[in-house]
Amino acid sequence: MSGPNVWSRSREKLRQFPEVFAQCAGEAAAYGKCVTATTKGRQELHKDLCVKEFEALKTCFTNAAKKRAK
Amino acid sequence: RLKTHRLSQLGCHTCFPRMQQCRDVSVSPPLFNKKSELPSGETAMNSRLSGTVLQRLTRSGSACCRHQAGPRFGPCRGLTESGRGTMNVFNRDMKKRQKNWSASLQDRDQYDYLRDEVGSRVADRVYDIARTFPLALDVGGGKSHIAEHLSKDVVERLFLTDISEKTLTEIPTSCVLADEEFLPFKENTFDLVMSSLSLHWINDLPGALRQIHQVLKPDGVFIGAMAGGETLYELRCSLQMAETEREGGFSPHVSPYTAVTDLGNLLGQAGFNMLTVDVDEVQVHYPGIMEVMMDLQGMGESNCAWNRRSLLHRDTLLAAAAIYKEMYGNEDGSVPATFDILYMIGWKPHESQAKPAQRGSATMSFGDLSKISQPTSTDRP
Repeated sequence: MSGPNVWSRSREKLRQFPEVFAQCAGEAAAYGKCVTATTKGRQELHKDLCVKEFEALKTCFTNAAKKRAK
Repeated sequence: RLKTHRLSQLGCHTCFPRMQQCRDVSVSPPLFNKKSELPSGETAMNSRLSGTVLQRLTRSGSACCRHQAGPRFGPCRGLTESGRGTMNVFNRDMKKRQKNWSASLQDRDQYDYLRDEVGSRVADRVYDIARTFPLALDVGGGKSHIAEHLSKDVVERLFLTDISEKTLTEIPTSCVLADEEFLPFKENTFDLVMSSLSLHWINDLPGALRQIHQVLKPDGVFIGAMAGGETLYELRCSLQMAETEREGGFSPHVSPYTAVTDLGNLLGQAGFNMLTVDVDEVQVHYPGIMEVMMDLQGMGESNCAWNRRSLLHRDTLLAAAAIYKEMYGNEDGSVPATFDILYMIGWKPHESQAKPAQRGSATMSFGDLSKISQPTSTDRP
């Protein structure tokens, strides 16, 4: 196919996703628990319900991705 | 809006509760432990956890969460006698481009595992019929995963159609570039029509089945397999919950599927008789949500519904990955993706086929059934 372009670069980033994601297993589990808890309890799922957990996950993910890029 | 609402009241066969919508994504090669015929070479299977759990028949209410009870809207394919061409759920042109794209991949073989598996099971069902078919048709067969498993004794000549020209080129049979929705064949032509994993992208399923019925000879048989039911419910639910939590709403990312309960009616309406419908649940284990989505893409099974949302926000993706893992993940760290494969067999009516006995011709009364079922002591060994 064609050479590197925006599309292949973003695709390349997506390919790295699993590896980077794996480094934030703890944060991911915390966020996942927060969201899935709504399927059992009475709490309705709505926007930003788990914003704290997500921010932690995102910070970890961004840092891990940066480290990897270096 | 009004229209879809009406349809759902009519009980249209593909109405889903709001939960059940999603986006197509896809890709990574899991292994089928069971089958060793996967290309051993380049498959990226190394670190991948995989395995299949093949179970007959459906799960009981697998639904993931309680949004399920919400009002129904979104894409409905109507069954009913609405005539053809009225339903337009999928962008067929987009589907064609997706298939062409996946056919152009260098490592495309590694995405064939599901088609191979389902193709072999369709072939199994062909073998079950003790007959030789002089002329067969594979609708939407692409690289012909069914024919690989068939022998010349069973099918003497095969026609293959596909919507994507690129997937067709490798096969030595007679290939016809055709849309499954418009079969370019004369009536009463084929002894056998097969279809594996392509009918779920058809807009007008009743119409397509009617066309298949037309091109069959009397006493000809149609054997098909399509994705349906709760296929990819893990992905659907994860994305919906992630979008709800991150963006405050959700949009369809996984396309609507036909329910198994409607399939019998559809076949019957198309004119088939002696119907058999059954469900196989194929569960594939992937390392994570990304691999699920990349693989689907590699299979050319990305969503092509008109109402799909082309954007998946990166925050949402991250959230969905976490939810998928937490909610459905296995202990070994892999995540399952479920494919409900609906198999259908229907025959074009012919006078030689068995018919219901005449009314009043019974020699036993149903009232005597209880006596029959109790074995007498002399029958026992």
